[in-house]
Amino acid sequence: MYTRRGSYTALIFLFVYAVEFMVVDQVHLPLGGFSLFLIFVLSWSALSSPEIGAIGGFFGGFLLDLAPSSNGPMGQWALILSGVGFGIAFLRYGDDSLRGSPLSLVVFVAGAVVISICVYVLLNSLFGLEVGNMRQLLRSIGGNGLWTLAISPFVLPVASRLHRAIYETREFQ
Amino acid sequence: MRYGGDNRSRLLLVTLIVTSLFLITLDMRGVQLISSLRQGTQSVLGPFQRVASTAFTPIGNFFSDVAHLGRTRTQLTSLVDQNAKLRRSLIDLKGTDAQIKQLKSILNLAGTGGYKIVSAKVISQGTSLSFSQSITIDIGANAHITRDMTVICGDGLVGVVKEVYASTSLVLLESDPAFRIGVRIAGSQEIGILSGQGTDRAMLQLLDSQSSVKRGDVLVARGSEGGKPFVPGVPVGVVTSVPNSAGLVSQLAEVKFFTHLHALSVVAVVLRAPVIDPRDALVPAKPTPTPIPTVTIFVTPTPFASGVPSATPSNSAATKN
Repeated sequence: MYTRRGSYTALIFLFVYAVEFMVVDQVHLPLGGFSLFLIFVLSWSALSSPEIGAIGGFFGGFLLDLAPSSNGPMGQWALILSGVGFGIAFLRYGDDSLRGSPLSLVVFVAGAVVISICVYVLLNSLFGLEVGNMRQLLRSIGGNGLWTLAISPFVLPVASRLHRAIYETREFQ
Repeated sequence: MRYGGDNRSRLLLVTLIVTSLFLITLDMRGVQLISSLRQGTQSVLGPFQRVASTAFTPIGNFFSDVAHLGRTRTQLTSLVDQNAKLRRSLIDLKGTDAQIKQLKSILNLAGTGGYKIVSAKVISQGTSLSFSQSITIDIGANAHITRDMTVICGDGLVGVVKEVYASTSLVLLESDPAFRIGVRIAGSQEIGILSGQGTDRAMLQLLDSQSSVKRGDVLVARGSEGGKPFVPGVPVGVVTSVPNSAGLVSQLAEVKFFTHLHALSVVAVVLRAPVIDPRDALVPAKPTPTPIPTVTIFVTPTPFASGVPSATPSNSAATKN
């Protein structure tokens, strides 16, 4: 059963990954745009148990590490997203007040995206990689957060339905 | 109630983090397998990305344009301004080219004739209200211009300086009805008086009633005492028609000016006449007709077979069989 669920999850992730790099990346949006794949992975984690959230985050991060445009070392996104995925799932799964609140989920995902990117930039600077100037970074991170707030309400219902179809453990209403 | 997690989930998290750190370490140590994975992904994604790029670029451009509407508008305005500037430069350049061409021909003429000249730009073509054919040039007393100096261009005579101001001069054109000049027919050396008619044509009146003029004769300025108002040898025009002047005291002829007086941009004022009269040296060469090749077509009659026209003899043989 775990294998089947894992395979489905992997296929869905791969599909969104392909859409991200073939479609979303073709559109140049202001303020740095958004990452559909990152939003989807974190939404998926937010809908899952902490274990599934961490594994999903790790797999999603690994795919992001494989992206040709990724300039960090292999495993960097996997490290970040497994931690953030676990964290967001842990926070949502255990807090009854947050469960069943779409708005809180949107804000959670947007916050998780911003945190993930901030950690990524921090690790990049620790690894001695070029991160650009502060103004550009703030603009890009803030823009990503805003875009995520705008896009998440459209991504979450899809992610929720797929998640429910595969796991039938949690539901987004 | 908040989910507290258990040891298994924590262990899983630690395992994933350690795995990630392991991958990072391998990559930073330059392990070939890790970089190959990224290259492999690029190889797989590349063709799909190219196809998607072709399909989605217009949509992407649309969103980009919408997103950067303000910037695009600014760029558009800037490009329109640049375009207008370039257009003006191009027009200026064309004008400059024409002026250079005229100036070159003036220098050629002046060089051949041995005139000392000073070039000038036409700054005004005169007005229809003045009822005289004149132009204003951008040099005057500041360039040692005085009244009654000859004004020429590359094609020949333009007129004579009528008024001189501090930095400009008024030139009476040869087409003005009040304009008179003594001319000489190149070759025969017959002399006459040429009068402006207000158009690009003038009327020639020969002084000697016994002399004759014919169509195609070229007229050059005879020259005045001291080179003022006219220096000798400047081409003036060509005889276009000779009316029947039976019963008249002297022979008349219609002359077309060499100079296109409506297209003047650069002229030259002759400051000093040549020491030696150039005579007919400045007469423009007659245009030589370009030979037109005659095309000859040879037609060979095709043989007929059995009353049916045939393209080749072998075909007709096949028809017989």
